[in-house]
Formats: sequence, C-alpha cells, structure tokens
Amino acid sequence: MSFDFDAGKYAVYLWPAFAISALAFAWMISDSLLTARRWKREAERLQAELDENQ
Amino acid sequence: MDARHTFEFLTNPERFMAFSRWAAPWLGGLSAAAAIAGLVMTFLVPEDYQQGDTVRMMFIHIPAASIAIFIYVCLGVASFLALVFRQALADLAAQACAPIGAVYTALALITGSLWGKPMWGTWWVWDARLTSVLVLLLFYLGYIALRGALEDEQKAARAAAILALVGLINLPIVKFSVEWWNTLHQGSSTFMAKDGDGLPAIYAWPAVLMGLAYLGGFGALWLVRIRALVWRRKARSLSMKLAEGER
Repeated sequence: MSFDFDAGKYAVYLWPAFAISALAFAWMISDSLLTARRWKREAERLQAELDENQ
Repeated sequence: MDARHTFEFLTNPERFMAFSRWAAPWLGGLSAAAAIAGLVMTFLVPEDYQQGDTVRMMFIHIPAASIAIFIYVCLGVASFLALVFRQALADLAAQACAPIGAVYTALALITGSLWGKPMWGTWWVWDARLTSVLVLLLFYLGYIALRGALEDEQKAARAAAILALVGLINLPIVKFSVEWWNTLHQGSSTFMAKDGDGLPAIYAWPAVLMGLAYLGGFGALWLVRIRALVWRRKARSLSMKLAEGER
C-alpha cells in the first residue's frame, strides 16, 4: 500500500474540500482558545482590581 | 450514588471548570491523533471503482454531517435543561455549541456540494436531504442571531432555547429524508446499510477514525467554549461589583 495523492480530474473538487475543512478547524480552534484566554485574563484582572479595592 | 450527584459536575460551574481543565486537552489530543491516523488511511485506501478518488470525500463529509446532527441534539438537550430547570451552565453549553454546529453543518454542505458536482453533475439540488440540512444550518444561525439580537440576556436565552427546541423537529426529517422521499442523495451506505449495500471493510477504518476525530474535536471545542462563557460571566459579575463599589 502506498499513498495516493493524485486525484486526477477530481483534484479540483477533492483538495478544496480538504482545504476548507482544515481552515474551518483551524479557525474554530484558534477562536475558541483565544476567546477563552481573553475572558480568563479579563476575569483575573477584575478580581485583582476588586481585591485591591477591598 | 444517585444521578443527581453523578451529574453534579455538569451543573456546578466550579466542578465543571475543574473537570474541563483536563478533559478538554485530553479530548483535543485524542481527536488530533484520530485525525492524523484517519487522514493517513484516507490517502492509503484505493480509489473506488465507481467514484474514483472522490470517495475520499466521504471521510470528511459524513463525519461533518452526522456530528452536525449530534451537536443539534446536544443543543436541544442543553436548551431544554436551561429552559425547564433554569440550569445556568446548561444555557452556556447551548450557547457554546451553536457556532460549532453551524460550522460542522456548513462543512457538510460545502463538502457535499464539492462531492455532488463530479458525481451528480450539479453543485446543488433542492431535494429533501440537502434542503433539510440547509434548514439545520438556518436553525443554528437563527439561534446565534437571536441570542445576539436581544439586549436582555435572559430573554435572549429563553427565546433562543425555544427556537432550538422547535428545530429538533427537523432532525428526523434530515435523517429519514432519503427514505421518505425520492432524493438525489443516496441512502445510508455506511454501517446501517441494508442488503449488503454497506461500506466495504477497507473504507471502514478511515471512516471510523475520522468520525472519532470530528466527535472528539467537537467535545474539546465545546468544553473550551463553555469555559470561555463561564469566564465571561464571571468577568461581567466582577465588573458590576466594581461599579457598585465605586458608587
């Protein structure tokens, strides 16, 4: 068994499908992680500010 | 131990955060491993005698479509728990899974269209399966839009939860559309196919691995997005406390 990357006349359909799927996952992963990190930092900053005021 | 204690970690934000802190990376790692193995096998299997190389589209199209339906079930269950039992974490879970479900559904439609053109000779046809999946995407987008449209978050959550529950009606239509109506889309030919019309064994492994990758990917992304919403709610509550303190 060997890798078959030659999709011939179907390459114009096959590769965009894989590329779009990969891009969608890359976007979902980065957006989810960045959003979580942003809100975590914001909550920690506000908690520190609240602790200082008390 | 009764069911209430078993599932307490799903309703208690602190326990959920402790659980998801290790569960999300584990699920993400397992999903990535399954995706790598699945992709390797995707390009190792021989082309199909009828579909040629487009058969490889199956390993990204079917997982996207089936997990998109599964995500909507999660959205429906979480919306029900939020609406009936006023579970705050369930509401965040519903809110977190809608964008992931929308992307999975869009991927199912796009990859299906790219598969349909060489096999059917058309990018799109208004048949029952394709149209019901488009309706599924519209329910996801409607849910996201409704949550963003109303300023009162509680009202928005309630309205969106009702919309999500209404959308559950569409799921059996998506699933059985190929049996109820005469459609261009083929019937099930994977693991639930009848009369020997099932998936050849050589294609089963990449199909299973990619299915697990998409499922695990959803699980990990869902947990991370719920965590983000828990942090956001905490930040907003702290912000209000600070504003009260300044008065």
